[in-house]
Amino acid sequence: MERQEIIDGLIDVLRTVRTIDPEKLNNVTEETDFLTDMNTPSTELINIAAKVEQKFDVEFEDDDIDNLGSKVKDIVDLIIRAKEREA
Amino acid sequence: MPANNRKVAIVGMGGAFPDCADINVFRDKLFSGKSLIREWPQAVAYNKQIRSTVSGFIEEEEMGLEPIYASPVNGFPETYVDKLDRIPAINLATSDLGCIWAMLGAQESIKQAGWTKAETESEQTGVVVGSGGGGNVIARNAWHAFFELGKKSRIAGSHTVDRAMAYREAANISCLIKNKGVCESIISACATGLGNIGYAYRLIRFGLQDRAIAGGVEGTSIETFIGFDAMQVLSKGFAPAESSRPFDIRRNGFVSSFGAGIVALEEYEMAKARGAKIYAVIDEYFNNSDGDGNMFYPSYDGQLRLWKGLSANARIKPDVVKVHGTATPVGDILELISVVDTLGENGYHVSAPKSQFGHMLGGAGSVELITAIMMLENQQVLPCLNSDTLNPELENFQKAEGWKGSTKPAEAYRHLIPQQTLSKEINQIVCLNYGFGGTNSAMAISRDI
Repeated sequence: MERQEIIDGLIDVLRTVRTIDPEKLNNVTEETDFLTDMNTPSTELINIAAKVEQKFDVEFEDDDIDNLGSKVKDIVDLIIRAKEREA
Repeated sequence: MPANNRKVAIVGMGGAFPDCADINVFRDKLFSGKSLIREWPQAVAYNKQIRSTVSGFIEEEEMGLEPIYASPVNGFPETYVDKLDRIPAINLATSDLGCIWAMLGAQESIKQAGWTKAETESEQTGVVVGSGGGGNVIARNAWHAFFELGKKSRIAGSHTVDRAMAYREAANISCLIKNKGVCESIISACATGLGNIGYAYRLIRFGLQDRAIAGGVEGTSIETFIGFDAMQVLSKGFAPAESSRPFDIRRNGFVSSFGAGIVALEEYEMAKARGAKIYAVIDEYFNNSDGDGNMFYPSYDGQLRLWKGLSANARIKPDVVKVHGTATPVGDILELISVVDTLGENGYHVSAPKSQFGHMLGGAGSVELITAIMMLENQQVLPCLNSDTLNPELENFQKAEGWKGSTKPAEAYRHLIPQQTLSKEINQIVCLNYGFGGTNSAMAISRDI
C-alpha cells in the first residue's frame, strides 16, 4: 500500500472527527502535526487510532499506540508496520 | 447559616421538554391542558420484552440534534451535531444527550438572566446540575463492544468516561460557560432536580457564591426506562394522554419520561441592582429523610417533618402546592394527606404537573419548579389531567393500626385539585419532590412584589 494512498484514507477518517476543522484537512502532508497544526484535542488521538484500525483492517499493539507521535507520518508508519506484521 | 440575610432570586430558566420545540411551546401546551405523553416507538419495538410503551420522550431531531453513528460499534452515537450551531463541537464530543439539553438550558438561562461574560465566568458563579441515572446509553454500548464483541477498549472511543460519569452535565456546562466557581452534582434519585437547585440556593444564601446555574436532567434512554418497567411500577392500559393520572382511583403507576430543567439563580440584591427580571424569589429550601429503613415506601411522618423544617425559618402560606404526585397507588394519597394535615382543608390548590408530562426522574424536580415559576407568572394553577374520580373510600394505609393522619377519603379533597387550568391570585408556591432511599425535598418560591 502506497504512503499517499494511506494518507488519503487517513484524511477520510479525519473528516469524520467533528472536533477537527475540515478546512485544516486541505493541505495535509506527512509532516502535519495533529496537535499543533490541526488543533486536534489530545483526547481525540485515540479515537483516530481506533477508527484507523477499522478503516485499514489492522490492529495496533498497545505499546505502539502508547509511543505514537502526533504527526501524520507517525500514523502512516504505524499502519505500514501493522500491515507488515500481519502479512 | 444565612449570611447577612441574603435572598436568592430566580432570574432565568430553560431546558428540554417532551414534544415541545422550546420553553414557550411548553408553557402554552401546559396551560391549555395538553398532555405531552406519547406512545414511544423505541419501546414499542421491543414487543413483549417491555410492559409499558408510553413516555414523555424527546427525540434528537426535536432538539435540532443529529446523532453521528460513525463509530465502529453498531448503534453507538459517537457524537452529536447541533444543526442550529448553538453548542461547539468540542463540547458535543464530551456529551451524552442529557448533557446537551443541560447546556442548551444553561445558555437560555444565562441569556434570560442577562449576565455579562465577566459575571458568567466569575469565581462567584457556580454550576450545580445532576441527573438521576448514569450515562446509560453510552455505557451500554461501550460495555457491549468490550464484553460481548471482545473488542479493544479503545474501540468505543476515548469519551466514555466524560460522557457517562455521574456529574457529566455539570462538567459539560462548566466547560461551556467557563465559570470559575463550584461545579458539582447532587444526586438523590427523583429528588435530584430540586436537590441541585436547593443546594445552589444554599451556596448563594450562605454567601459562598453570588450566582449559580442549577437543575436536573434525565436524557432519553430506553436503558433507564426498562429498569422501571421491570419493577412493574409504570402506568399500563391507558391511551398515552390518559396514562398519567395522579390521584385518580384508576391510577396504576407512573409514566417514565425524560427532560431537563435548568435555572439561573442570583443573589437578590445584585439582581435587583442591575435591573434583572426576577421570575421568583426562593423563600426556603429544606430536605430530610424518612428514617424508617424503607427504600421505596413514602413516609407520612417524613413528609410532616419536611413541612415542619420548611416552615421553621420562613413564612410558609402557599396558594399552590406543587406535589410530587407520580400516580403510583400509595404515594399520591399519602402525599395529599400530609399536605392537608399540614395546611388544612382549604385556602390553596394542589397541582400535579406529572399528569401532563409524566415523571422526568432526575429532571422532575427542576422541570416542575419551572412549571411553578410559570404558575406564578401566569397567576394560574395547572390542571391535574385524568384525576377523574377520587376514591370515596379509605386507602388501606388509612385503615392500618397506628395511622395518625386524616381519616377522610381522597374524595373529600376534590376541591383542592383542579381538573382545568384555574386562574387565581398566587403569591407563593411550595414544590415537593421525593426519591428512592426515603429522601424528601421542599422549596417555597414567591412572586417578587
